[in-house]
Amino acid sequence: MSVLRNPWGKPRFLAVMTGGYIIWSVLPVLIAIGFAFNDGRSRTTWQGFSTRWFTGETGSVLHDPALRDALGHTLLLAVICVAVATPLGVALALGLQRWRGRGSGTVNGLMLLPLVTPEIVMGVALLLLFLQVFGGIGLGTDAQAIGQITFTLSYVVVIVRGRLVSIGPEFEEAAADLGAPRRDQFFRVLLPLLAPAIVASAAVAFATSIDDFVVTQYLSSDASTTTVSMLLYSSARGAPTPALNAIATVNLMITLLTLAFAYLVYRRFAGRDEATAVATLEV
Amino acid sequence: MDGEIHLEELCKKFDDFVAVDGIDLYMPPGEFFTLLGPSGCGKTTTLRMVAGFERPTSGRILLDGSDVARVPPHQRNVNTVFQSYALFPHLDVAKNVAFGLKYHKLSKDERAKRVGEALELVDMTEFARRKADQLSGGQQQRVALARALVLRPRVLLLDEPLGALDAQLRKNLQVELKALQAELGITFVFVTHDQAEALTMSDRIAVMNGGRVEQAASPKAIYEEPDTVFVADFLGVSNLLGAKAMGPDGGACAVQVGDRTLRAQQGATEARGEVKVMIRPERIVVEPHANEGEQRMPGMVERSVYLGGAYEVHIRVLGGELLKAMVPNDGGAFATALEPGAAVSLHLPSDALRVLIQTEPEEPDEDAVSMAAAEAAQPPR
Repeated sequence: MSVLRNPWGKPRFLAVMTGGYIIWSVLPVLIAIGFAFNDGRSRTTWQGFSTRWFTGETGSVLHDPALRDALGHTLLLAVICVAVATPLGVALALGLQRWRGRGSGTVNGLMLLPLVTPEIVMGVALLLLFLQVFGGIGLGTDAQAIGQITFTLSYVVVIVRGRLVSIGPEFEEAAADLGAPRRDQFFRVLLPLLAPAIVASAAVAFATSIDDFVVTQYLSSDASTTTVSMLLYSSARGAPTPALNAIATVNLMITLLTLAFAYLVYRRFAGRDEATAVATLEV
Repeated sequence: MDGEIHLEELCKKFDDFVAVDGIDLYMPPGEFFTLLGPSGCGKTTTLRMVAGFERPTSGRILLDGSDVARVPPHQRNVNTVFQSYALFPHLDVAKNVAFGLKYHKLSKDERAKRVGEALELVDMTEFARRKADQLSGGQQQRVALARALVLRPRVLLLDEPLGALDAQLRKNLQVELKALQAELGITFVFVTHDQAEALTMSDRIAVMNGGRVEQAASPKAIYEEPDTVFVADFLGVSNLLGAKAMGPDGGACAVQVGDRTLRAQQGATEARGEVKVMIRPERIVVEPHANEGEQRMPGMVERSVYLGGAYEVHIRVLGGELLKAMVPNDGGAFATALEPGAAVSLHLPSDALRVLIQTEPEEPDEDAVSMAAAEAAQPPR
């Protein structure tokens, strides 16, 4: 078959490849979600539909203390992470945007480092840091939160800076020109224009925190600091029940909903392409 | 009268790039003053310094006598209409216009009244509740104008405000802007690279090039009596002939062009040596080849461009230079007979010939200009 036979025809080969890839990548996730609703204890044999692993009396996400606590701890870390990383990241983004002197390029590069550093390297480094330098903090919730903030901060900075670049300096100049002092230039003009990026970056930080395993695992102390991802990892080889699938499903839903929310908020104000870039940043 | 600007020795350097190179300008109160020049000539940087967005490297900016060069923009009694309008997208039209009134001590009623008046002035009352991004370019331009004028500034700065509009709308707004300025009596400082726009609207034009002012004068003087080769070339179509000046000759200058000697009454008539002689196409009289004599040069038509009301005839004269002449399309047989190859005689009246001394080195090369343009478009902050 000649490729040149019909240059206007649809590239069927590419369509098949793409479709195949999508099925291959989504199928395991769908199967895992499916078995979260299994009526039996098996994670491989379908025994009818039920929501017992979500809300049942025993061993469900809602009633099993281990599962419930893991979900609670995951959400706690995510909330702390968002509450700290978002304002800090916005401030850093503003500072980096304004700073045009010597060294600004280096710092810009360094801001991106956590995004490309293998997480295992970051995890080990942070572990050593908390064990040997900041022994006072110790391992546990504080260390986990600090660890997560360290790299989610980069996402916030990248998203907010992207928006700052597309906003440009002239709205602030226009505000100054109309008589607004620095404070008002920020609160009356820049902040409202940045709002979608701030919301989106908070959502990405939230989702990143929930999904994180390596750093959170390294900096955990005891069972009370177990997150969902850690639980999934540790009990995968024990005696797993579909409750694990159920809690993974809950986790996944929270992540997806947060990112969808970020995408919608961002698209409302900025362009569709920019929003897609932001929403897929985390995934 | 308020709204008088003096720029004294004003300089602005961005790292190694000199954007504005020590300019002195006087902008009289209540006039429509235009800064005209090509991209990267420093006109926008000059305007931004007057607005307060750029801090001068040196020099003074006197606004009604007091130096404002170190005053931050929000404390200057000047307002700007931006090239992209910079309307706040999160606010509606009325709130955009009211934005700056917060910093004037006004009652709520007064504020509403001023907003209403400003919107009426630019004929945008019915759009008060629209968001900025729901407006067309021309409408945004009007709102930007209202937002600045509502504060009753002493000087209004306009940075190529018509640049983003289509030709027809541009023409209408040129007339409207000029009328508005005359009505309000506020000093307008207008930046443009469009020479036709500058000639139409301005009371006074400063032609800038390479960070310096080449000439500041009325549109008529700028067009008809350019001081420099750059000004002559930048405004309209000019014929610039290389010539040798041989000194004054009874109120005129004798110049040798090719093997002919002409008399030029305008410009640097005292000059001697290598000069440029300039004549506008509409001042060249194309005559039948038989006409010989004073102030005449033989030539051959290379092409004739039909412009509707006239023909622009390109004529190669003896000595190799190409001249453009306007021949009115008056229905006569002569104009239509100017086919390529036709031999003609050009009459260059001595009162239309202008001697220009070429002081500047040749125009900066392409790279330097485009670099300068890029710098001007994104001045480092």
